[in-house]
Amino acid sequence: MIIIGENIHVIAGVVNQAIKARDSKPIQDLAKGQVQAGADYLDLNLGPLTKNPEETIQWVINTVQQVTDLPLSLDTLNPVAMEAGLPLCKKRPLINSASGKKEQKEGLLPLAQKYNCDVIISVINDRGMPPDVEMKTESIMDTVAYANELGIANEDIWVDPIILPVSTAGEGQGFAKASLEFIKIIAEVLPGIKSTVGLSNISNGAPNELRPLLNRTYLVMLQRYGLYSAIADPLDKEFMSLIKGEVPDVVNLIYKVMDGEEIDLSSLPQKELDYVKTAKVLTGEVLYSDAWLE
Amino acid sequence: MEYKAPIESNTGVVNVVTLGKSGGKTVTIGGESILPLHFFDDGSWPNPPVFALQILDREPPEDLPDFLYAPFKDVMHDPAKWAGKVEEFDYVDAIQLYLLSTDPADQDSPPEKAAEIARKVAEATSLPLIIYGSGDPDKDAKVLPAVCEAVDGMNYLIGPVQKENYEVVGNAILDHGLIASAQTPMDINLLKELNVKLGHFFPLEKIVIDPLSPALGYGIEYTYSLMERVKQLGEIIKDKMTQMPMIADFATEVWRSKQARQNEEQGILWEAMTSLSLLTAGANILTHRHLKSIKLVKEMYESEVKQWK
Repeated sequence: MIIIGENIHVIAGVVNQAIKARDSKPIQDLAKGQVQAGADYLDLNLGPLTKNPEETIQWVINTVQQVTDLPLSLDTLNPVAMEAGLPLCKKRPLINSASGKKEQKEGLLPLAQKYNCDVIISVINDRGMPPDVEMKTESIMDTVAYANELGIANEDIWVDPIILPVSTAGEGQGFAKASLEFIKIIAEVLPGIKSTVGLSNISNGAPNELRPLLNRTYLVMLQRYGLYSAIADPLDKEFMSLIKGEVPDVVNLIYKVMDGEEIDLSSLPQKELDYVKTAKVLTGEVLYSDAWLE
Repeated sequence: MEYKAPIESNTGVVNVVTLGKSGGKTVTIGGESILPLHFFDDGSWPNPPVFALQILDREPPEDLPDFLYAPFKDVMHDPAKWAGKVEEFDYVDAIQLYLLSTDPADQDSPPEKAAEIARKVAEATSLPLIIYGSGDPDKDAKVLPAVCEAVDGMNYLIGPVQKENYEVVGNAILDHGLIASAQTPMDINLLKELNVKLGHFFPLEKIVIDPLSPALGYGIEYTYSLMERVKQLGEIIKDKMTQMPMIADFATEVWRSKQARQNEEQGILWEAMTSLSLLTAGANILTHRHLKSIKLVKEMYESEVKQWK
């Protein structure tokens, strides 16, 4: 599993201020922390970059590359900034992200071809967010076909089903199932394709202290179905050891829930019990509520 | 080949709740294992829906149309007399006493007054009562415990219990042997969460779900599909936190709409269509303001049931 460290994110106040002040240290600290924790890529989420797009992205890339050789995931919808940043990357970068929307398809995909780099393509298109697995698949096939015509190989494309919050009233659990199903079938539909997800969105809206549990459990489920990578928080140690296979008991319990097997809850220690309850919510077996552990 | 309709059978059963004081009339709701009106399936529907007429703890606000309360014109100044008069209409199964005047945005009348009115209304009628506070969570936290004490042991339905006040109101309801109406704003996840939290100290079989019910034309679709979902989860998936019977409390909402206020015939139909829709979605208690809309929906329901007997 390739982990793309998510912590350099312009929505975080500290990152935003550091970029504005051109203060290297907070950004380099975040980069080093994620490198040490075992990230494989670093995501640089810079938002729309309305002011000084070229100079800003170049400064952030250079700042990060002073402390690490990890490949970068350039996360902006601004094609001008993207094009200014790509040539500076020492390792083959990842464009994060294009989609089936006309402007992103036409603005960002040619850059992936021109600079010979990997690119994330999400299932979003001009009609919006496809709700179910059939429509997600149909949308991604169109956009991938477009990318192929530009000369981008499936092996360089990381598809993203777009994870939505499981807590969304009435629909969140259906969304969670649809994305799981998408990851399960996508390698057969598009041979050679890679995949990724913005993991933490699964727990958006859930109580803060319980968010990591949803993130971890959902990733174990996605990993089972062949997910290639995730944009996530590598500083969560329990998360990292789970995906490395260091906690097989928990993984097996989550798999049992996915398979609909009966589990004797009374015999489980608290931690395992929490994982089982979380998996049951994510498979849709039990109705979600913020009190799902109680 | 001849078509054979599939017959479903569920193992989950909606909790049975009985409302009403001893010595008075009682109503029982819940107990069904078939989805709403699915009389063709395998299972039972032991208890018909309950039609409650809403009365107020004050004279009706002037902006409400006169035709709405015409049969009660002479008794509306006294909630107890108003409640007593309701018994003349034998198709009304229960009375909802809505403590409108306690609302800080209305008269902000004190808890003691509300308790006194509740006590007198309880004395004046043998029908089961559904007593609702204003819905202001802070005020209800003071009003409803006082009301619970006044109707101690009478097995009435008290609400709305909300996430902001479920501990204090829930405990008062429990201490005085009453039933809780747990209200959340049209959201299945919040609905379950409130029941989980109440369930830490409150018996689940004494809870009725109030998912909030808007009027026809004002978002009723949301509550319709939510109620359907609650019944499916309770009966098919057997989620204990959604196995409670439900109340559709639209009486106030319907008569906020200009369509209902415009003229009497249209108003009756507006309330009847709201009621019938939510009955079809699975509501076990329906609160009305107009006598004739109760009569209309009840007749439709009874003629439907007759076909399947």
